Amino acid sequence: MAPYTTIPLSPAELSYLHTSLSQTPPIRPDGRSPTQFRPLVAETDILPSTNGSARICFPDGTEAIVGVKAEVERSKQENNGSTSEVHLKRDRRMEQQNEDMEDRDANEGKGREGWVELAIEIPGMRDDDALPIFLSAMLTEALLADQGLKDALYINTRFHWRLYIDILLLSLPLSYPLPLLSQTTHLALLSTRLPALVSEQDEDPLFNDDWEASTYLYPKSNPSQTAQRKPPITLLVMAVGETILFDPSADELAVADAVVALSVTQSTAGLKLIALRTIDPPSRLTSGGIPNALNTTPVAAGAQQTALSSNEALKLRENDQGRSVWRPPRGGVKRVVLSRMIKAVVEEDGVGGEVMQGLANVET
Amino acid sequence: MNDRRRINPPPGGTTPPAFLHSTKATNRPVRTRPANLPRSIFLQTGLVPSASGSAYLELQSSSSPPSKISLIPTSSSPKITCTVHGPRPLPRSAPFSSTLVLSTHVKFAPFATRARRGYVRDASERDLGVHLETALRGVILGERWPKSGVEVVITVLEGEEDAWWADDRGEGSGAANAGWGMMSVLAACITAASAALVDAGIDCVDMITGGVAAIVRSTGHAADATVNGGSRSVVVLDPCPSEHEYIQAACVVGYLRARDEVTELWMRGDAGPESESLLDQAVQAAILARTVLSETMREAALLKFDKQAAELNSDNATGDATRRKAKSKDVAMTG
Repeated sequence: MAPYTTIPLSPAELSYLHTSLSQTPPIRPDGRSPTQFRPLVAETDILPSTNGSARICFPDGTEAIVGVKAEVERSKQENNGSTSEVHLKRDRRMEQQNEDMEDRDANEGKGREGWVELAIEIPGMRDDDALPIFLSAMLTEALLADQGLKDALYINTRFHWRLYIDILLLSLPLSYPLPLLSQTTHLALLSTRLPALVSEQDEDPLFNDDWEASTYLYPKSNPSQTAQRKPPITLLVMAVGETILFDPSADELAVADAVVALSVTQSTAGLKLIALRTIDPPSRLTSGGIPNALNTTPVAAGAQQTALSSNEALKLRENDQGRSVWRPPRGGVKRVVLSRMIKAVVEEDGVGGEVMQGLANVET
Repeated sequence: MNDRRRINPPPGGTTPPAFLHSTKATNRPVRTRPANLPRSIFLQTGLVPSASGSAYLELQSSSSPPSKISLIPTSSSPKITCTVHGPRPLPRSAPFSSTLVLSTHVKFAPFATRARRGYVRDASERDLGVHLETALRGVILGERWPKSGVEVVITVLEGEEDAWWADDRGEGSGAANAGWGMMSVLAACITAASAALVDAGIDCVDMITGGVAAIVRSTGHAADATVNGGSRSVVVLDPCPSEHEYIQAACVVGYLRARDEVTELWMRGDAGPESESLLDQAVQAAILARTVLSETMREAALLKFDKQAAELNSDNATGDATRRKAKSKDVAMTG
């Protein structure tokens, strides 16, 4: 069992939390508004031996460090079983394309997915446990959706940069660590620099020794350039009934009806959604309370307690439908609620933009 | 991960041979069915007698029939088998759990994809397992089975390809090309697991089905769409990635038809403003798969109850009361 799923809350507490979060406006345990994020401490460039690094601490004690290192690697010549004939046709097509795309970046489309490697380490869990694999798959697919990142790693036809992103969660995962890890990765990638290339064309790569001349992997905003590439960010959104909450804490996740992780990135037309995954809410692992009618504790003398048969007990529980006592949620999430969640993140003045803005203002 | 128990393939990986004749003969497969029609599904349950429940699902091989010159199939047709073991009691050493402990395992057979996969489960298979667990956990009524565990094991005998095998993936392929095949496989896994769960008789809220839809573009290069106004993006149900040159975004859902709820949603790629319609189309694909699932389960149930009724009748005839009691499979639940 993942550590974050051992929830030390009783059915009464869970029911209380669920009711208070279902109000309009929702009453969160720490008094935040539905779109308010918890304050965090962030710093970048803390590891001098890496190309980029960042550290973020949340007020509940969870902390993560990300280090990004780059290494020059020889490119594998790909062989898809194509023959010389097909090569010839393709070369002709490429010549035509090259003529067409004079003002496009010459490296466009040359990046490969295998050049970015992401590793997550969570204390107390093995590498092949479900949680680290799911998190790394989600973060990787968000990162690789941007072809610009892969193209920035291209040096020439024989060599390329291989990017190693190592994510360390320094505290035990008390709540779902995805937003923390993704924000730390975002910051680390923003501060990542690659040494400036001095060699030309296809010769062995030679770099400028001066670190001040290095280029950012995600270039800082250029007034002449319209589109600024930014690394993606993954947000956790949860729904309780009709209410949608951002940045849920561990207590709030314990009563969630649905939890969704969305990856967004900056584009010319605002924010765009690049990946979306539903997360299994930990509320399904809680145990339900026992309604009073099924209470088998002997009461004071004089009162009669008739024991119900198992079938009757089950029927009573089903009819109750979680109204009088807490019952773990069943089924899934309605489509309307899902689209509302997506909209709330991606819209014009939505939450995603605020988070990106906040992270961009972190001083290095 | 040095696997010494088995005879392993070369460590650098293998590539299948491509013959000069074959590249001339085969053309890129083209989608012949309309955009809103998924591939036909063959689904049957009860194939593994030793398991509590089992199902086998096969998707029809789409696109044109293979040419007479080469034997290479033009596109893949996923074949998935699922077995469910349980509910069975947890080992004594396991901590107390008030709900059913669901564990899912997805494994691609080594021969399932064009590039050979190893015997040891890798990260993408574990990721699929987590997706499947998310999908199934919402459906199973876990609170009725405390201190028990159920195991869902999926073996993919033939997986979906991510792109046409003769396509050069490097040239202007745009967004991540790998992974589109996984989404089709996940949708089929959800449906197969649902059939196996019903076959095993595990309490479920509804029958879940998986559906996949994608936004595809007719031309190859991603940026061409802005230069030439001619290419449009179309939403297709049940995409076969080898038939499309460029897949912009894709979405898999695990959908409960009777409750109109989504338990599992996985969307990838740049859907932009069309993400809602992509989700709706994936739900539509799931609804169409649900009709196949209901029909299969009805036939399977009729078969099972006919057999039970026949056995009961024969018991009644011989007057063997003890045998009749032993045959009864109902378990008294402790509520």
